[in-house]
Amino acid sequence: MSDALAPLLEARHLTRRFQGLVAVNDVSFSLGEGEILGLIGPNGAGKTTLISLISGTLVPDEGELLFAGRRVERLAPFRRAHLGIGRTFQVMKPFPGLSVLENVTVGALFGTGGGERNRARARERARAMLDFTGLAQRVDQRAEALGGPDRKRLELAKALAMQPKLLLLDEVMAGLNPVEVDEVVGLIKRIRDEGVTILVIEHVIKAIRSLSDRVFVLHHGQKIAEGDPAAVFRDPRVVEAYLGKRRA
Amino acid sequence: MLRWAAIAAVALLLALLPLYGDAVTIQYGINALLVAVLAQAWNILGGFTGYASFGNSTFYGLGTYGTAIAMAQFGLPFWTGLLLGAALAMLCALLVGIPILRLRGPYFAIATLGLSAALSALVANLDIAGRNIGLILPLTRNDTLFYEASLALLAAATLAVAWLSASRFGMGLIAIREDEDAAAVMGVNTTLYKVVALVLSALFTAVAGGIHAYWITFIDPASAFDSTLNVRMVIMTVFGGPGTVLGPVVGAFILSAIYEALASSISTAAALFFGIVIVLAVIFMPRGLVDLGWGFRRMGPRYLLETVRQYRL
Repeated sequence: MSDALAPLLEARHLTRRFQGLVAVNDVSFSLGEGEILGLIGPNGAGKTTLISLISGTLVPDEGELLFAGRRVERLAPFRRAHLGIGRTFQVMKPFPGLSVLENVTVGALFGTGGGERNRARARERARAMLDFTGLAQRVDQRAEALGGPDRKRLELAKALAMQPKLLLLDEVMAGLNPVEVDEVVGLIKRIRDEGVTILVIEHVIKAIRSLSDRVFVLHHGQKIAEGDPAAVFRDPRVVEAYLGKRRA
Repeated sequence: MLRWAAIAAVALLLALLPLYGDAVTIQYGINALLVAVLAQAWNILGGFTGYASFGNSTFYGLGTYGTAIAMAQFGLPFWTGLLLGAALAMLCALLVGIPILRLRGPYFAIATLGLSAALSALVANLDIAGRNIGLILPLTRNDTLFYEASLALLAAATLAVAWLSASRFGMGLIAIREDEDAAAVMGVNTTLYKVVALVLSALFTAVAGGIHAYWITFIDPASAFDSTLNVRMVIMTVFGGPGTVLGPVVGAFILSAIYEALASSISTAAALFFGIVIVLAVIFMPRGLVDLGWGFRRMGPRYLLETVRQYRL
């Protein structure tokens, strides 16, 4: 399915080391426009590092990253945000002292293309995103007063307010109950239907299975499998990475 | 609306002070206004982005020396001196800010710490700056002029901060304070924003230094690059409410008044009592007077307990 789509994001031989550890090791992949790509792997596999390389929070030691045909691997994070790359953080990063509405307004004021310069219009867009993510009742609360699931929603709303072309979701479903997971899966599908390309890291296998057009698996920083979700989950190397050798 | 009317009334009352105040009151007023400008200027970077600058006493010194050199050495008018001082300070902020505002958190504060000592040593060895003897400016006995100039400067600084708190630029600064990584990936050009805030802060600080120099008529390196002045800027801003529009001004006025009252009644122990006031303020209202005002309206005296609990004191 992805072959038919023009790649929006293309990673070529990305490598990132931390002292001795190679967190991401020679990883290549591409992401078609409008596609949802699931990124899975055991803890410490390098998933979050890979997302940070794409969003610009980290810079790769080697390799190239192309976004919409343009080299971006050395660009500052804010420039990548202006190009249309939005992300959420696994360890959530709300602006704790600001209200929920102000948190999301920051995304609308900056974001893709430099954002909406008018504060009133930015606030309107932020309200729409809060409606969409189910936080409409919480607009005036301080972000630090939100509970876990609402913080996840806030992360999502902040990234969405940027109106990204590419959305990088780092475990937005961790800690949610099954009903909440289903809600978020529904939200992500609707975001894709709006034309947003999505890279999603998730441990909830059921969610990944129902969301992803394609899945790719990282283990010890290397890509060990890629393809159709059903096939990937049957791959013995993937089963081994997750469950250990004996069970495989 | 009522709030703006109250602010306008207070501003008018302050502007007319030379008509009804005596000479001592006006002199006290000049000091209090200039210190309030310094607190407000410090607030632009420190209050909005959370980056504590200890370089502001350097900008103050450059404003002081810029004005003094222009007037004492070249016989230029006061306003030209102010411009020169402001330009020097802004240039310094730019040169210092671009490399060190890439640093995160406490490293910025540490990097700015040595700046005023370095510049103090530099001017003490420059002939044009009067070496370590200092410079004497032309004498002008017109306290009303100095008073009104200081008030106008405070109004300008406060309007700038009011604009900040309502603008996209200010929102970016606040986002940096709340979480710089998140601000960057959401599209805030963090380094540029911090540098612009520092340059703006330097502008108001330097002009205050220039007015003070012309008023005092004598400057030397130790008084111009006085790092305890920087500490006062921090205390007054934090006391009033960092990141708010009126907090630093209110904080500066109240602390100036307390200090003045203590110094006149119990001169020797004044510093000690001033210290006690600061300690109590930090314990009971760590987010400043402005937050105390909101908290009291919302939950009454319980606010004090809540903040003590929240900050685990």
